[in-house]
Order: sequence, then structure tokens, then C-alpha cells
Amino acid sequence: MPAFILQFAHCHEDFRLAELDALSELEGVAVRYDAAGYSAESPILVVEIDSAASAAKLVRRAILIRSVSEYWGSGATYAELFAEVKRTPDRWNEFMQKSFKFTVEGFGRSLTQKEKVAVIESFSFLGFEGPIRMKDAEAEFLVCEEYGETDLPVPPETPKKLWFGRIVGRGSRHLIDVFDVKKRKYLGNTTMDAELSLVMANQALAQPGTLVYDPFMGTGSFLLTCAHFGACSMGSDIDGRQIRGTAGFRRGVNGISANVAQYQVADRVLGSAVFDISRNPWRAGALFDAIVTDPPYGVRAGAKRLGRKNGTVPQKSFTVIDGVENYKRSDYYPPTVAYEMSAVVSDLLAFAAERLVVGGRLVYWLPTVADEYEPEDVPLHPALRLVANSEQPFGSWSRRLITMVKVAASPEGAGPQKAAHDPAHKNFRDKYFNRFEPL
Amino acid sequence: MRLITHNMLKCHVKNCTDPDKQFPLRFKDVQLEQIDAERNDEFLVRMLPRIDWPALSKTTKELDITLPETVPGNPEDDEEFLQALHTAILETHIKQGSMLCDGCGHEYKITNGIPNMLLAEHEI
Repeated sequence: MPAFILQFAHCHEDFRLAELDALSELEGVAVRYDAAGYSAESPILVVEIDSAASAAKLVRRAILIRSVSEYWGSGATYAELFAEVKRTPDRWNEFMQKSFKFTVEGFGRSLTQKEKVAVIESFSFLGFEGPIRMKDAEAEFLVCEEYGETDLPVPPETPKKLWFGRIVGRGSRHLIDVFDVKKRKYLGNTTMDAELSLVMANQALAQPGTLVYDPFMGTGSFLLTCAHFGACSMGSDIDGRQIRGTAGFRRGVNGISANVAQYQVADRVLGSAVFDISRNPWRAGALFDAIVTDPPYGVRAGAKRLGRKNGTVPQKSFTVIDGVENYKRSDYYPPTVAYEMSAVVSDLLAFAAERLVVGGRLVYWLPTVADEYEPEDVPLHPALRLVANSEQPFGSWSRRLITMVKVAASPEGAGPQKAAHDPAHKNFRDKYFNRFEPL
Repeated sequence: MRLITHNMLKCHVKNCTDPDKQFPLRFKDVQLEQIDAERNDEFLVRMLPRIDWPALSKTTKELDITLPETVPGNPEDDEEFLQALHTAILETHIKQGSMLCDGCGHEYKITNGIPNMLLAEHEI
């Protein structure tokens, strides 16, 4: 298969290959690459895709990929690069009369305009006769000078590697601005940033015809991004105020319906409800194509479930106040207790195993203590296969975006496997407050 | 709240387990609103196997909404069926009212289209 150059955005390195794999499955485009050979220090990954059209399709929804280019050459020096480019001169004919544009970028070093022009002129051997167009050129070429990152105060003089290709497709990083939380009509203090909310929609394979559910919806970020990509979405939360808009940073806008209107996804954000996921009213059976969620770690948002410390006192429901039984009063709010992190996660897996269709995905964030984490900490379940585990580090703690696929119909009540030792996310809240700097 | 969501919810009060009584929940004193939505046939066809048709039939009858008695053999080609289904489950919103469980009597209130399905202390 022909070779292509993927140019990644300079962030969320650990999420790149996971997103690429998700897009490959989502778009039905096979992509071959050497994962073991890839280092996150490089913004470039060479891959094999069957055609330029497929390559463009593969990356069109990518949030972490800036562009995909037909591979024309690479080298440690321009001499090497030119030599490789010159091995396929018949390729140039197609572009002889076309308008064209060259983009020259330095990774790890800023190039001056003068340097860029010199690079472009060095490609004059291609003999393109068409006009140069900065906008809407018929052919666009990318030169990437990879200097790499160093701790040195001054960037290296010579690049580690040079890359050259014809850009055939771009990702969707422009959506980050569209979904920017600073522009969002309604948000809360745990609203996920736009970039990762969009990546999660890709990990979940959100697409037209699918139904996505978030059991810890908060202000509904994932309902929005998944609906943007054509999925229908539903959400729930134990805290109705976040949904209705009586808590959160911007009140008086009617809660998540303001966002639904802002992003024009009203037809696909199907509904939200208030309930405790650990005592949920969903009927039995496989209902959802994906579950996409950021469960409360117990830090900024206290993870809660229905119950009372030291046990429920059923009689309290029936205390009569102003002639009405307590639990029937309009202002009744049932008591809640802390919902410990490892229980949240293991319940989430059990729920996903039952309520996802086979082939459906669970995409969720797992908080973990950096120096205690072991891969075995990621909970497993017999009906779910672990597909991706990407770390977003915050120093002494991280959170990991976990993707699992339901591979088998799960008998109702089958449970997750018990870990050999307490995972690093157990009692995460206590560890966080006792050990880490505040965020 | 749309009828598609209602079709997926059952009563989950402790010991309320009679499947014929706990699902579907019965609407009470509801205020409905029809809001046009773009037809989403791919979604309708994919969801069909997951919809509990007898329950949907029962509920739409209670609300005086027209829906065919049975699902046609080729729903993806049946324009009339798809439009009726679309209107029923995606365009019909329950804005206010409640959902009653015929098994235990619990009343789940719906406010501004959002159902409150928290259970009281004696129900968990």
C-alpha cells in the first residue's frame, strides 16, 4: 500500500495512536503502521493506506491529526530527501500546470520567513510551472523539518529528519474552537475541555445511527460532541441541578438546553434524566452503542450514590411535614453517601457489559496515582475487551482515557474480575487531598 | 422527555419486580409538545430491534398517538411507518406530568422535560 505522512498536533501524545485506530474502524479505512517503532517525540508517523481518497477519509474527523500527506520523501539532509523525491519523477507531471502552495514547518524550532523561502526555492527542481496560490491552491505540499524537543535553551542547528509530501487531507482541529468551553453557553466546574470531549466522541465511534449514553453527564459535553458527529445521545446524573441549570457557572440559561441550542443538536440530544446510576431505571437488554463518561473522582465533584451513612432509615421517608409525607414533598431530596472510586468504575463496567450492544464501546476516564499505577489497575470484565489506555499526566496524578469494546453477550449479573491488589484509583479522593497539590 | 427514552425506563423501586407492572410506566397528567425534528432513518431502523414494541404501542394508545400495531417486514422502505415512528418517538415531548408504576405506585415526576427518577430512602 502507498505510504502517507501523518502530522500530529503537538499535544496529548499518548492519545494519538488510539484515536488513529478508532478512526480506522469508524471510517472503514485500513491503516498499517509500525506502532513499536513510533515515538511520541515525533510529530510524524508514516503509515500505509490504500489511496489518497481513503487517507483523507481516515483523518477527516481527527482531533489530534493536523494533516495527512502522500509520502514523497524524507531524509536526514535535504540531499537525501531530494534524492528520494527524484526517484519518482512521473509523479510530478500531474501538478506541472496546477496552482500550488508549499508549507514549510519546523518542529522544535521556529523557521524564519527567509529560511522558509529558501527551502521552497530548493524544490524548484520539481519544475512546477503553475502559479503559487496561498489560498485554494490545487496542490499543497508540506515540508516538515523535525528538530525534536530538547531541554537546551537554544534549539538544535540541524534537523533530525526532514519530511516532504503532498497534503491530501486534514483533520478537524477547527472543532476545538467551535466547542471551546469559554464560548459555551452553559458549563460547570468539571466540564471537560473541548479537545478531549471531541477525542472521546471518536473513541466511542459516535456516528449517525448510534445511541450514546453518559451516566455522569454533568453539563452534557459528551452528549454534544457525540451528537455533533451524528450520534443520538442521552444522559443522566444524580445531580439534577447541573442538568437543569440551577447550578453551574452560567445560570438562567436553562441548563444544557442552552448548549443543545448553541450547537444545533436538539434533534439528536434526545433527553436527560435525574437518577443514581448505581440504582438505575434502564430496562434489561442491550440498549446503547456507546457509553461515554467522566465519572466523578471525588475531588472537585463529590461522587455520590443514594444511601445514608450507617444505613438507610426507611421511616424518615414517611415523616409528615405540612400534611405531606416527606418523600412526596416537592423539595424532597433523598440522602446520599460517598461513592468510592473503585466501586464507581467496577459498577460502570458491569453496567456497560449488560447495556451495550455487542461491538459497542465504553469510553471513560480513570484517575490514577502516577507512581503507584500499574497496568493491572485497569479493571477488566469478561464481556469487555480493553482497546485503548491513554494517559493525560498532571504530575503526581494522571487520568487515563480507557476504551473497551463489548465482545460477548454478558449474562445479567456477571461481574468484573477482582484485582490482585488495590488499584491506584481506590480511594482516589483521599489520596488526592492528602498528597497532591491542588489543581 | 421523548417517548424513546420512556420506552427504555422501568420502575426500579426495591422489590417492585413484576415485569408486567413495572414497565412501561404509565403517564399521568401530562403536558405534551410536538417539536419538529429532522428525520433520522438510519437511527430509527437501527433502534427498532431495541424498542419494546408492545410497550410503545400501549403508551401511544394511552396518549392518543397514532402508531401501527406491528412493525412492517421492511421498515426501512416504509415511508409511512418511518414517519409515524419518527413523530411518535422523536418529536413527541412530555414536558410536565408524571410516570406512575402500576406495581408499587411510585410516581416519577417530569419537570421541564426532565424526569426525576431518584428513589426515596425506603425504596433502595
